[in-house]
Amino acid sequence: MEKMKLKLLYSDLKPELEMIEKELEQAVDSESLLLNDASLHLLQAGGKRIRPVFVLLAGKFGNYDIDVMKQVAVPLELIHMASLVHDDVIDDSEIRRGQPTVKAQWNNSVAMYTGDFILARALEHITKIESPRVHEILSKTLIEVCRGEIIQIQDKYRLDQNLRDYFRRIKRKTALLISSSCELGALVSGTDEKTAAHLRRFGYFIGMSFQIIDDILDFTSTDEELGKPAGSDFIQGNITLPILCARKDPELYAMLKANLNKGLSNEERFKVVEAIRNSSGIEEAKEMSERYLQKALRELSFLPKGQGVKTMRKIAFFIGKRKF
Amino acid sequence: MKGHQIQSKIISMEIEVLNAVRQRTLDQFTEGPSVKESRLFFLLLPFFSGKTWSPDIEASAKTVSIVYAALHAHDQIKEDAPIIKEQQLTVLAGDLYSGIYYQMLVNAKNISMVQQLASAIIKVSESKTSFFEEEFRTVEEIEKAITVIETELLMSFYTFYGYTEYAPLAKQALLYIRYAEELKRLQSKNYSHFLRELNTNLVHENYTKYWLTEKLDSLHEQILASIADCALDYELAQFLLHQITPHQHRAEQLTREG
Repeated sequence: MEKMKLKLLYSDLKPELEMIEKELEQAVDSESLLLNDASLHLLQAGGKRIRPVFVLLAGKFGNYDIDVMKQVAVPLELIHMASLVHDDVIDDSEIRRGQPTVKAQWNNSVAMYTGDFILARALEHITKIESPRVHEILSKTLIEVCRGEIIQIQDKYRLDQNLRDYFRRIKRKTALLISSSCELGALVSGTDEKTAAHLRRFGYFIGMSFQIIDDILDFTSTDEELGKPAGSDFIQGNITLPILCARKDPELYAMLKANLNKGLSNEERFKVVEAIRNSSGIEEAKEMSERYLQKALRELSFLPKGQGVKTMRKIAFFIGKRKF
Repeated sequence: MKGHQIQSKIISMEIEVLNAVRQRTLDQFTEGPSVKESRLFFLLLPFFSGKTWSPDIEASAKTVSIVYAALHAHDQIKEDAPIIKEQQLTVLAGDLYSGIYYQMLVNAKNISMVQQLASAIIKVSESKTSFFEEEFRTVEEIEKAITVIETELLMSFYTFYGYTEYAPLAKQALLYIRYAEELKRLQSKNYSHFLRELNTNLVHENYTKYWLTEKLDSLHEQILASIADCALDYELAQFLLHQITPHQHRAEQLTREG
């Protein structure tokens, strides 16, 4: 149902997104059958394709040429895919989007080489664009995303971390790549600098909101809806916003502390998930996400009115209210 | 150029590469980037031989070294390790080094080299994955895959800057080093994917040992011929033969031992 809604939101971009999908398939084509299978497995597991969508939508504010836009949209999605396949090794995840991960279907080594292969394909693609600014932004983003993930590992199991740690982490982990998608889409379509800056900030705020909702859904959704066990973040030691907001209840804090970094049975996991669900943490995290959403919408108000803004606004609202 | 000058240049390049990828958490929890002296030697070989060289070319050479380190980090990921910090950070080390090589080339306004290296990484990843394919391969096919893994990045650097005259020598020497490492692994029964596939193919471990030692002898001969072809000066040739690919004529020894 939710996926249907998303498809409807993207309906203005349907032909372009179908083209991007084909390009993605071609991009992961390899002489190695195994790499081909692993990459397609990852690609066909689906995904919201939020990054290519924002590249295309940002491009609508300039001289939109799909042949140019796809040179940015495809590599950005490939970079996201490469990071997912490596993340599954980091988190030892068996399931993603309801499908076995590459590391589970094959092994860690194949997952590592698949990620390297896909990232290299992304760079091979993006180098067709000569603009130095595009490469400055993208290379900086790649480095910052990695630094964000390194910080995430440093911060694991640290129940006493502060909110600033969390926001710094999700900025690098998620918001920057979405922000760069908007900015790069704007840049390659030749929009003016002011518009590009508003789009970059829109992407940043929406990325922050998106990640907070993701962290909320990890507790509020079912295993089936998530395509992985609910509470996975907590099990893996990732202290997310709902936990940080909920921990002020001393009883809950003690319970979380007792269950952190401990192999939880399903029953114990459900107990933790239930406790967070029933805490004030979920509502408080939703409020924070809403604040970012409003900031994102404010950025849109500075942009020229048109279909691009309308679709961005709809997607922003969807992200704020999504259930998967 | 004297031996100590060659060594000193290699060390200074190594330090610069290590500084470029330095990251506190990674330094603390991982084994750190792998920057091999032999690869630096071959990246710097055109400079040592007096070919056209510039700070931009040297910056490119450093990025090749960083890509080797990135891919090497990902080779260290184990299958049976539980979720441990070292393994998690090793994955990220490889990814971070990839971002760093890209940024360094962007700062040097050398986007074509990014493309060149990306194409080489694709080939290396395909060859590394080939060791997990179920299909039977001939020894020649295995050898081809290992050649790509060891040399493709360096070859892309040589091709890009027109130093292809050194390609045969570098290929032989880097393969020599890899086979010497594999022989050591075989002797300590620390089997790599390469050794496992070779053992299956050659049926018995003793044949693998013999194959490797023969290869080392033959590559040593080829290296001597290539040194002459490249007209390397005496000091450079001696450095290569004694520091980079010291040879011990193992096949002959094995035959004598029966």
